[in-house]
Amino acid sequence: MGAAQKRKIRIECLRYQPGVDAAPRTQAWDVPFTDDMSVLQGLQHIKDHLDGSLTFRWSCRMAVCGSCGMMINGVPKLACETFLRDYLPAGVLIEPLTHFPIVRDLVIDQSDFLAKLESVRPYLIPAQPRTVGEGPYRQTPAQMDAYYQYSQCINCTLCYAACPQYGMNTHFTGPAVLALLHRYNEDSRDAGKAQRMEIVNAEDGVWGCTLVGYCSEVCPKGVDPARAVNQNKIESTKDYFRNLLLPRGSTSR
Amino acid sequence: MQVVRADVVVVGGGGAGLRAAIAACEHDQALSVAMISKVVPMRSHTVAAEGGAAGVVRSDDKLELHFEDTVSGGDWLCEQDVVEYFVAHCVEELVQLEHWGCPWSRTGEGDVNVRFFGGMKVQRTWFAADRSGFHILHTLFQTSMKYPALRRYDEFFCADLIVVDGRVRGVLAIEIATGEMVLFECGAVVLATGGAGRVYRQNTNAGTVTGDGMVLAYRHGVPLRDMEFVQWHPTALPGTGILITEGCRGEGGILVNKDGYRYLQDYGLGPLDPWPRPKAMELGPRDRLSQAFWHENKKGRTIQTPQGPAVDLDLRHLGAKKIHERLPLIAEVAHTFMGVDATQAPIPVCPAVHYTMGGILTDARCRTSLEGLYAAGECASVGIHGANRLGSNSLVEIVVFGKVAGVEAAAAARSAGRDRAGEAERMAEAQAARLLQMLRVDAGARPAAIRDAMMDSMEAGVGIYREEAGMRATCERLADLRARTRRGLLLDDRSRAFNTEWLSAIELLGMLEVAEAMAHSALERRESRGAHQRLDGFEQRDDTNFLKHSDARSQGDDPPRIEHGPVKITSLPPRARVYGGAGKQAQLS
Amino acid sequence: MSTPNTYTRPIAGWWRRNPFYRAYILRELTCVAVIVFALELLVGLWRLVQGPEAFDAWRASLAQPWVIVVNCVVLALVAWHAWTWFEVMPKTLPFINLGGRRVPDRAIVAAGAIAAVVASLVVLFLFLTL
Repeated sequence: MGAAQKRKIRIECLRYQPGVDAAPRTQAWDVPFTDDMSVLQGLQHIKDHLDGSLTFRWSCRMAVCGSCGMMINGVPKLACETFLRDYLPAGVLIEPLTHFPIVRDLVIDQSDFLAKLESVRPYLIPAQPRTVGEGPYRQTPAQMDAYYQYSQCINCTLCYAACPQYGMNTHFTGPAVLALLHRYNEDSRDAGKAQRMEIVNAEDGVWGCTLVGYCSEVCPKGVDPARAVNQNKIESTKDYFRNLLLPRGSTSR
Repeated sequence: MQVVRADVVVVGGGGAGLRAAIAACEHDQALSVAMISKVVPMRSHTVAAEGGAAGVVRSDDKLELHFEDTVSGGDWLCEQDVVEYFVAHCVEELVQLEHWGCPWSRTGEGDVNVRFFGGMKVQRTWFAADRSGFHILHTLFQTSMKYPALRRYDEFFCADLIVVDGRVRGVLAIEIATGEMVLFECGAVVLATGGAGRVYRQNTNAGTVTGDGMVLAYRHGVPLRDMEFVQWHPTALPGTGILITEGCRGEGGILVNKDGYRYLQDYGLGPLDPWPRPKAMELGPRDRLSQAFWHENKKGRTIQTPQGPAVDLDLRHLGAKKIHERLPLIAEVAHTFMGVDATQAPIPVCPAVHYTMGGILTDARCRTSLEGLYAAGECASVGIHGANRLGSNSLVEIVVFGKVAGVEAAAAARSAGRDRAGEAERMAEAQAARLLQMLRVDAGARPAAIRDAMMDSMEAGVGIYREEAGMRATCERLADLRARTRRGLLLDDRSRAFNTEWLSAIELLGMLEVAEAMAHSALERRESRGAHQRLDGFEQRDDTNFLKHSDARSQGDDPPRIEHGPVKITSLPPRARVYGGAGKQAQLS
Repeated sequence: MSTPNTYTRPIAGWWRRNPFYRAYILRELTCVAVIVFALELLVGLWRLVQGPEAFDAWRASLAQPWVIVVNCVVLALVAWHAWTWFEVMPKTLPFINLGGRRVPDRAIVAAGAIAAVVASLVVLFLFLTL
């Protein structure tokens, strides 16, 4: 089928150029498409052939790198696994992920998210140091099952775009980061739970969550961050009473 | 220009880069390490790797067997002393990853599980479901946050090496968010920038896999070795090239043509039974499987899909339970991108460019010929893959040699003096001016047109099978495309802040040079070996004349000069490379 | 490192933009219905303390048509309020495994809702027979 005969779909994108635009505007193009084309491929067509200045992040094209999160008709999705055929006949509006500052066009500022990721000590803190010569830890499939789904997070930040609490208060630690914290707490090889409690217990920790639940709804990998956060409300409560009865002092450094 | 000082600079935040940075920090806690990556590290292409990482653990396995499988898999073009080092250090790195939290899949008792993989005689591939690269990368990225001496510069595009008096003194980078130029002054640089598969149209690679680091070294006189050896992964989705892991076949998946016939038995990989068994049929090496597809297609026995010819990868006999436990990502991908339920229907697949065996020439300690410059991972040719890489050797390569490069760079950085005042900055300013000039071009070729022409030419002339006329045509086409780009690339986007059109154009200039190195190296290798197969009178392996590496050296605007260098053979002299045969049935755990 | 010249979009009106958010706000607002019921019961309790005449007068006032209509609406909202609690209950529980398999969330929700219905029926039965 020649290009002239291909069907077309209207793709409208938010545009914003820092230092030039006072506020974002939109721009639309009619893009030739086939049934198997993703929204990302539509954007690439625009950039390659219609307007080279349209700016967006992308990489793997198979929903595992987490680069291409965008608001697609108002819903946070990965552009590479969202298909243009599902937006006929009206077309599609593409905007950058909500609740993040816009750097340019469809690119958001992810520095807050990255800073939070580092803050929860997202690495194994074992009870005893173990040398490589001693071999791997033993971990049964049941033990792995306790944390595995939380380890599937691709850091796409769709959950932050979904979370209105984060939108209203960017100090809130947020779904993905708390899910990652929970992943390590639940790993049988880890002993660092106490060190992570301070983040959990904070007002902007798990207590910033009001169980809207939209984060788990939009998560493309089934991580279920809402569960991770709310599990830790129980942990936080237990910790509060433990500390009340047997104070251990501050763990802050 | 802003100047950042660090002892070691690592360019690339994927598996090899992160491992190198961590190794440098652990080697010497007084060192400062700057890691520059054009994407935030968890977006690096390591994340998409699926199948697993090889390491000898079973009692019926030996280092010698892994060595033999690797050398014969590489069709004897491997540096055997490097392979010896490699196989001896795989397990310690995989255990290290496990200690850092990597969720390797386990047996019922809780030990690390291993599976069969193409070209390997014994089960030795450690795997984390079918998302091994994802888990390795996230483990390394999260672990890297433990090291305060490791400063990350996310979304900084490394545009050039700064070389003063024959020694690398730093790198020039573009801060992507603002378009500002930054000079990173350092004692040693590790390049860990990945492969160059995006020079082809049909590939499994992310958009970032553009050979940036290879070109940086190449332009400063470091040879690119064995560039003609490009691996086609036999099972990718037609059209997009999205990867369908070899692990499917390791679990027992089969490949059939349009008649439902397991055609691999016609290509020296049979007999059919018992199945599954190692190094036979669908568990043969990748080059043989991709070549078999090419022949089936020529014979008209492939399935015509809207996205091009394909064969069927049938997993149905594995059962829904096994598919969802061992291959969940594949089930998801097949469903999302092809609308196929892998438990009910076969998945259409075809070969796509997947891996670049060649790269920056290094010795066994990841040192390049340029003082202060190291390289590890897919961007390097340390000598373990030869003419064809075995699956699951690459995910472990990045940690084995990532560590080596980090340690070596750390040691070198300590002893490096400071640069003659200002020379590095002057060179950086000059190069920055050249890069900024690209934003002021008023007439020229469109980058997308040049890129399309390059990709199509590479597919046509330097594909799975090659002929002299086709390779020559590609060489000429690439020279012509390079000349056109020298007359200017016309960009729509003239701004500085987050200008990805500009960065893509810079990458394109590099890709053309890498493609030239590939095409010319292929032309000059007048034999068939591993992934380089010819149909023009050079169909056989020629150990007499070509048991040699190809070294491509940049000649500036002119095409590269190709020379041939010796291959280190220690314990395994060349013999015929055979797969298939009777063998034993595999015991899949 | 942060970037200069970024644009922050206003958050006001966020809950109108998405059906999921609208359902969430309605869920939160059902607490008003719970408060109404609670106040009604408190008034009833107070009337009971004041003696049988006061209590009977209160019960008569409940029989007015408009009060019945309002109470039906409030009952529906309270029932939905209870249902939404069961919906989020799985998120507050650790994984439950039975016979080596994960109990799916919808089973937990269903179990909670069924338990609530059964308990309500038992209370109703006791109320009607005692």
